[in-house]
Amino acid sequence: MSSISRSLSHVTLAGRILIPLLFLLIVVAPILTVALAVVVGPWLVSVLSSNLGIIRFVVAITGVLLFSIPAAFIIIYMELKVIAYMNLRVGPNRVGPGGAAHSLVAGLKVLSKEDFSPANADRLVFTWAPVLVFLTAVMTFLVIPFGPGLVGQDLNIGLLYLFAVGGMAVVGLLLAGWSSFNKYSLLGGLRAAAQMVSYEIPLTLSVVGLILLAGTMSLHGIAEQQGGWFGNWFVFRQPLGALIFFIAATAEANRTPFDLTEADSEIVAGFATEYSGMRFGFLFFAEYVNVFIVSALMVTLFFGAWNSPLDINMAMLFLNDELGWNLQPIVVNLDPGGLGIGLLLLILIVPVALTVVFALPFYLTRSKLKAWQALLLGFALFNVVAVGAAFTLAFIGWDWVAGIIWFFIKSFAFVFVFVWMRGTFPRVRIDHLMGFAWKWLLPAALLNLFLTATAIVVVDALKAG
Amino acid sequence: MSFIPGIGLVRGMGLTLRRFFQPKATIMWPEQHADVAPKFRGRLQLLYDEYGTLKCETCFQCAQACPIECIDMGGVDTKGRFHVHWGAPETYGERREESALRRSGRPVADKAYAPFEGIDIEPLDGILEAHDYDPREMLAILEETQAEYGYLPVAALKHISRVTGAWYAQIYGTASYYRHLRFEPPAVEAPAAGTAQIAAEASFRSALDASLGYGGGAN
Repeated sequence: MSSISRSLSHVTLAGRILIPLLFLLIVVAPILTVALAVVVGPWLVSVLSSNLGIIRFVVAITGVLLFSIPAAFIIIYMELKVIAYMNLRVGPNRVGPGGAAHSLVAGLKVLSKEDFSPANADRLVFTWAPVLVFLTAVMTFLVIPFGPGLVGQDLNIGLLYLFAVGGMAVVGLLLAGWSSFNKYSLLGGLRAAAQMVSYEIPLTLSVVGLILLAGTMSLHGIAEQQGGWFGNWFVFRQPLGALIFFIAATAEANRTPFDLTEADSEIVAGFATEYSGMRFGFLFFAEYVNVFIVSALMVTLFFGAWNSPLDINMAMLFLNDELGWNLQPIVVNLDPGGLGIGLLLLILIVPVALTVVFALPFYLTRSKLKAWQALLLGFALFNVVAVGAAFTLAFIGWDWVAGIIWFFIKSFAFVFVFVWMRGTFPRVRIDHLMGFAWKWLLPAALLNLFLTATAIVVVDALKAG
Repeated sequence: MSFIPGIGLVRGMGLTLRRFFQPKATIMWPEQHADVAPKFRGRLQLLYDEYGTLKCETCFQCAQACPIECIDMGGVDTKGRFHVHWGAPETYGERREESALRRSGRPVADKAYAPFEGIDIEPLDGILEAHDYDPREMLAILEETQAEYGYLPVAALKHISRVTGAWYAQIYGTASYYRHLRFEPPAVEAPAAGTAQIAAEASFRSALDASLGYGGGAN
């Protein structure tokens, strides 16, 4: 028996599989990479460049999938913290700075739990239902514009796609409830389906008026039409529509006061009763991704998407025209390449110089501070200033950076509103919930559509006449 | 204001937003500790030392300090000489109950440990002699003992057990099985007015008459 096989016999089964794989990775992977780069490289590049649309799509999907995880973590942390603050508590504060890693640890906990499926459950459906729910949540990210031009796939039927994909979540919930082999789970699933189907109708109808006004269903197109100043936001032209959309979206995302599908304090999580481990984690994650999506949609459709409330350059032009002032628009031309060799010197010198400059006051005023401590402080301060400066420059210089920042500020403002509502409102009763959808929201949405259509016709007639 | 639909929702949201910015009530234990009032006495508890002995020395400081006088305690003084007790007078019946007495450390009466009264065992020895100290004739022995003493005293039963060799428990079991055998003397009936009592009354009456100035023997 050779020494290699003897030492391998001490390893567990997983290790016996993993160690050969590692060997393959170390030895074979570089060879393959080199071969690919030399032989297949040019061909691959030409294939990829001729299929740019597909590449773009795959990259967008991957980015969206990756983005959904930190977004959900941030929202979970925000929910814990904000509701705690509203209860005069402090909330999570032990893991990470201010408890920021709390949701991360919760995610790890969910991963490490036993993934249990009940006897007689339909294993296949039971496993894939949470994935379907999560997938529908993530897929809706694809058409949401995060900034000018920053959209996964700019579909011209973006809004339709959103509602179609969002409707698939109902199927996921039903499957989850049905496959659990538990009559209460099934009832919970049906309940969730009833709620989501009912609220999908006013949700969809509330944006039809907006579509009439915008003339497009592309979310990017709708976002572009709200540029300039905040008066162009659709919320001022569709206040009733925005209100209905907000309420219906709250119900669609299963948030308080419409969180009857979960009702964590009353029914045992409804359709998710039998779920545990990461399968439950998927359902849980999908809920929080949905919160972000609903907020992002609210911002995109009614609150100006990535546009700043007041475009300074446009405001200046407006003032120049109206009052005869002569204000120059702020234009930053970021052209680092123009500096030539000076850029290299700048990169080498500026960090060192600024570190020393920031360290000096500390070193001079604090006699106890050693030189290296002062330098460390100066370096930290330099980093803060540099990152701040970089962000500021990017914010001014590049539209899409400013767009992303505005988009996230507004979206998380709405996430805050959803959390705020959860900290305030009690849960509604199921008959009130359904009655409210069918007796109030649906007629109001129809009224909104009717008023909008009439207004468009009247305005067109006035313009023509 | 209340007639505006949805005003309640808005006001509720306003309340929670105000709470959001208010100082928090959480005490960051274990870094911080709650402010405890000087009057706070905590939980009353008797502690034991490492040998399992009660640490209480019956100094009554706790009972003296008790602001609502709820402590009722007793025990043996530190020299082990006499029983001491602190507490309100026994106003209520339940305080004289056995469990209440035990709880407060006071002595509890137990008949089992009371010394039994001695008897004259001469007649009992005669009865036993007649039956040849045979435990198989226990019922006859017991009946005759009861006829002699009026009941079955504990001392008599102990003596029978010792001399016949039968277990006390067996003798007690035999005696308690039969209804006509009793362990207590029968209830004493009030004696009828006898001549001694009449004489006492006459002397009392004459003394009364003399003190009141009546003629001797006259009415």
